Amino acid sequence: MSERLVIIDGVRTPFCKAGTELASLTADDLGRIAVDALLTRTGLDTALIDEVIFGCVSQPPEVANIARVIALRAGIPESVPAMTVHRSCASGFEAFTTASERLAAGRGSIFVVGGTESMSRQPALFQDITVRKFAELTKSRSTKDKLTALAAFRVADFEPRALVHVAQTDSFSGLSMGETADLLAREDGLTREQQDAFALQSHQRALAAEARLAEEITPVYLGSKPIARDNGPRADASMAALGALKPAFEKYGTVSSGNSAQPTDGAVALLVMSESRAKELGLQPIGALTAYAYTGCDPAYMGLGPVSAIEKVAQQSKLTPADADVVEIHETFAAQVLGVLSRIKPPIPPDKLNVNGGAIALGHPLGATGARLILTSLKELARRKAQRALVSLCVGGGQGSAIWLERI
Amino acid sequence: MPNILRETLEEGIFLLTFDRPDSDTNIFDFDTLSELESHLDAIASPEHHAKGLIITSAKPGVFIAGADLLALRKMNTEEVKTFIQRGQSVFNKLAALPFPTVAAVHGAAFSGGFELCLACDWRVASSAPETTLGLPETKLGLIPAWGGSTRLPRLLSVPKALDVILGAQVLPAAQALRAGLVNEVVPKEHLRLAARRWLERGKYEPGFAHSPAVNAMVDAVIAPGERHEVQQKTHGHFPAIEKALEVVLKGSASWDAADALERERDAIAELIASDTTRQLLNLHFAQERARKFSVPDAPAEVAAIKRTAVIGAGVMGSGIAQWLAAHGLPVILRDLDTTPLAEGMGNIAGLFAAGVRQRTFTEREARAGRDRISPVTTDVPLQRVDLVIEAATENLETKKTIFKRLDELVRPDAILATNTSALSISELAASTRNPRRVVGLHFFNPVHKMQLVEVIVGPETAPEVAQRVVRLMQQIGKLPVLVKNSPGFLVNRILVTYLAEAGALFWNGAEIKDIDAAMREFGMPMGPLRLIDEIGADVALEVSALLANAFPTRLHVPDVLPALQGTGLLGRKVGKGFYKYRRGAEASPNKEVAKLRPPGQLKPPSRDEIEQRLVLLMINEAARCLEERLVSSASEVDLAMVLGTSFAPFRGGPLRYADSIAVVKVAEELTRFAESAGPHYAPCGLIRDMAKSGKRFYED
Repeated sequence: MSERLVIIDGVRTPFCKAGTELASLTADDLGRIAVDALLTRTGLDTALIDEVIFGCVSQPPEVANIARVIALRAGIPESVPAMTVHRSCASGFEAFTTASERLAAGRGSIFVVGGTESMSRQPALFQDITVRKFAELTKSRSTKDKLTALAAFRVADFEPRALVHVAQTDSFSGLSMGETADLLAREDGLTREQQDAFALQSHQRALAAEARLAEEITPVYLGSKPIARDNGPRADASMAALGALKPAFEKYGTVSSGNSAQPTDGAVALLVMSESRAKELGLQPIGALTAYAYTGCDPAYMGLGPVSAIEKVAQQSKLTPADADVVEIHETFAAQVLGVLSRIKPPIPPDKLNVNGGAIALGHPLGATGARLILTSLKELARRKAQRALVSLCVGGGQGSAIWLERI
Repeated sequence: MPNILRETLEEGIFLLTFDRPDSDTNIFDFDTLSELESHLDAIASPEHHAKGLIITSAKPGVFIAGADLLALRKMNTEEVKTFIQRGQSVFNKLAALPFPTVAAVHGAAFSGGFELCLACDWRVASSAPETTLGLPETKLGLIPAWGGSTRLPRLLSVPKALDVILGAQVLPAAQALRAGLVNEVVPKEHLRLAARRWLERGKYEPGFAHSPAVNAMVDAVIAPGERHEVQQKTHGHFPAIEKALEVVLKGSASWDAADALERERDAIAELIASDTTRQLLNLHFAQERARKFSVPDAPAEVAAIKRTAVIGAGVMGSGIAQWLAAHGLPVILRDLDTTPLAEGMGNIAGLFAAGVRQRTFTEREARAGRDRISPVTTDVPLQRVDLVIEAATENLETKKTIFKRLDELVRPDAILATNTSALSISELAASTRNPRRVVGLHFFNPVHKMQLVEVIVGPETAPEVAQRVVRLMQQIGKLPVLVKNSPGFLVNRILVTYLAEAGALFWNGAEIKDIDAAMREFGMPMGPLRLIDEIGADVALEVSALLANAFPTRLHVPDVLPALQGTGLLGRKVGKGFYKYRRGAEASPNKEVAKLRPPGQLKPPSRDEIEQRLVLLMINEAARCLEERLVSSASEVDLAMVLGTSFAPFRGGPLRYADSIAVVKVAEELTRFAESAGPHYAPCGLIRDMAKSGKRFYED
């Protein structure tokens, strides 16, 4: 068996709801801030980095391969290659496990990995019909043709399609992510109250964990005030307030914006390397990657992805949820987490699950979340002086992902 | 060895390449002008059937830098006229060639170098960053006299030409294109290709728009406004600007270009003979030396400083960090807490944004600059850093604590610098394990505008350390002056002497407006009391107390400073000091301050005497600094005072000025004031000795 991949350090920007404090930054801005902070506090000679691997679901249209742009902007030498990975909501995981595969294949030993997403600055697309009409207009030569082409436009043609909505609708089943959650809630008989109670707990735990989460955060300096806190968790969250929200996807559905993950801006960066390199450089790792698995499932039940992924990784590593001291099951929807929990044996005790809140409170910058879960769970292991963490994400398009980490 | 190489590119197309032997630059002297003329004559001879001429340079960073200024400064009026006439006639010959001509510019094309371009039909420039074009003559007390003042208004229009000539503008290629100075900007590899294409256009045909007839009308409209504006800006102290304005106004409307050229000649000959221009040229040479000098006893080759850290994100710290980052150096910017750090980062973002508005940077360059700054609020590893500049509060104990910590964090070969305006480098160095690597870097506020940096060395500072820092300052476009560690260093010591005496004069009955007007008339951009308002009475009090402590026999804190601090009249930052400040209104003297003075005032001295006393005190202190060998030459004192305090540049600095009124006279006057106004006027040993031996501060 090849060498273990260890995590030296990690840092993230605050997670801020889309359209709020970080809205003026692009995904590469956010990624650069996280990587720069990581490199500054570790003091690593950047020429030693073998590759930069970043996850991002909706790359800004002006940057192809955002990982490369982030690397260069963070002052990493031009000679260091960089690659962007995409496994939807698990892109942050993918960056991390890709580094592990590179290491196993003998293709490098020091990596900067992470994920970034600006959901404030999602590109908006013209509809296909509008694009065709523009093409017609460009082709027109005579004034008459131009006028005819212009006359074909309708007001509705200019209604943009936000890429984020496009990306969050499964193109295979045609269901939006929210609809998959409502489907699950219907079939499992999950009530609105159960889901809202779970959401409320996410907010309460995230608020209580503010000081702990602050350990992960590097402030962002915009204007002349520091932005240093996640702004998703709501102190005014209550069953009544959550209950007052309309169903977000289905007329009689139970999934609301309150019991779903919030669209959010943020980025996470992790410094990972082989255990022997860490020793050579005199760096003290905070944890190691033990095992991981990705699985596929019915896209209409994408929320249940963690069930099969946790099962698969158990077959490989003999680790079951009972071995975990800390568990993170990513909260895309309360209904989806509840659906997963009811299917996992043995059941996960509440005092080990998402103990610092989850994406319902902290938000879900798509490409960054996986890397945050790795960082948050390793910090929690250290606080608890505990050994193992199980981290799992459901993935739009019908996949599951699960990672086992251990403290060093 | 020839300065110019002639080639035939193809049938009838000639190329002249300027390549001065044994030099990294091209300049015009008599020989080069003659050489150019003989090439032009040869090319124009009928047997060549010339169809076009391209002029270029073989130097990597310079097209042609202009006339040989060192030689020019030594010429007498007649020689100047001859030299100028020679240049004009050769350039006229170039302009009169019957076939098209193109200047293909890569690198700096200044003054005479750009005037050569103007004598061509077309100009193409390379897009490389080292390509800059313009007419900076008025900054040196000269005017463009090889046809620049005549040809530019006829090419661009009078107002646009005045912007360039009166503003002494030197523009990067892209801006030069926008301003109309060049016809096209291309990658340097395409220069010759583009030049060849422009030859196809034939001769440049001047249109009606900027013809003498139109110019005459434009001149009539703009002349009064322009004259007023120049007067407002120069107060009559910069005759070159006034002369340039008149030459352009009159010349542009003249049907006979020869007449306009004659005006150029007469004006420059008169200017070169003037004291003002000689002083401005002297300063120019002093700046050139500062740009290039090496530290004595330092190794010739030293390791370049590549990565930096700045401690403290206040006004100075963030200003320094911004400047370093803007010049390509990564900076770790450390402060104690996120709030002051955020303010510093805000300041930095503001400076970059202003740079983009003023076209100093493109958006992308500004972003790259901002990206180079890594803000932190905790100790981070500094093993990769070559230089740390500490810019925390001016408190020796705070700085000592920081230095002790830095000493542990950085590599053994890293340099520790402090940005202080007065604290002792040696005391600070003593708090570290290796005092040899400690140096002072006194940047001036605002960092992005002030070119001067005092590099302070203690007896313990290694020459190599000083050299590395000096090289960095030169690399990032600052003008370093090497100063030995001593209270107040050079600039503040002389400045505080001056400000303290101004404060004392006020306290003893002189009026604010008289004191400030006297010094403005001398040529300072603002009077000393107004300057105290800008600095802040509290800061002025602190620095003068420190210096009064160091030099108790001759420097005293003026009573007005504690009085101002006690009443909260701290100056501009609170809206009230010696003056009252209101948004949108001119500052007016604050009557409250006069009431602070003790009763029973003596008759105050006249404006002339105020000016004399304040200037003499500065000269005396400047001479003392030289006497103590704080710097190695008078020219460094003068350069530092002009750059650091805006000491009237056309006077050349305090020591140049002393020479111009004669040191004997300075000594006499100081002795006289020592009796009438106080013993602190007693001339220093150096001035007494020089007065006896009849020596000057400068030999030239």
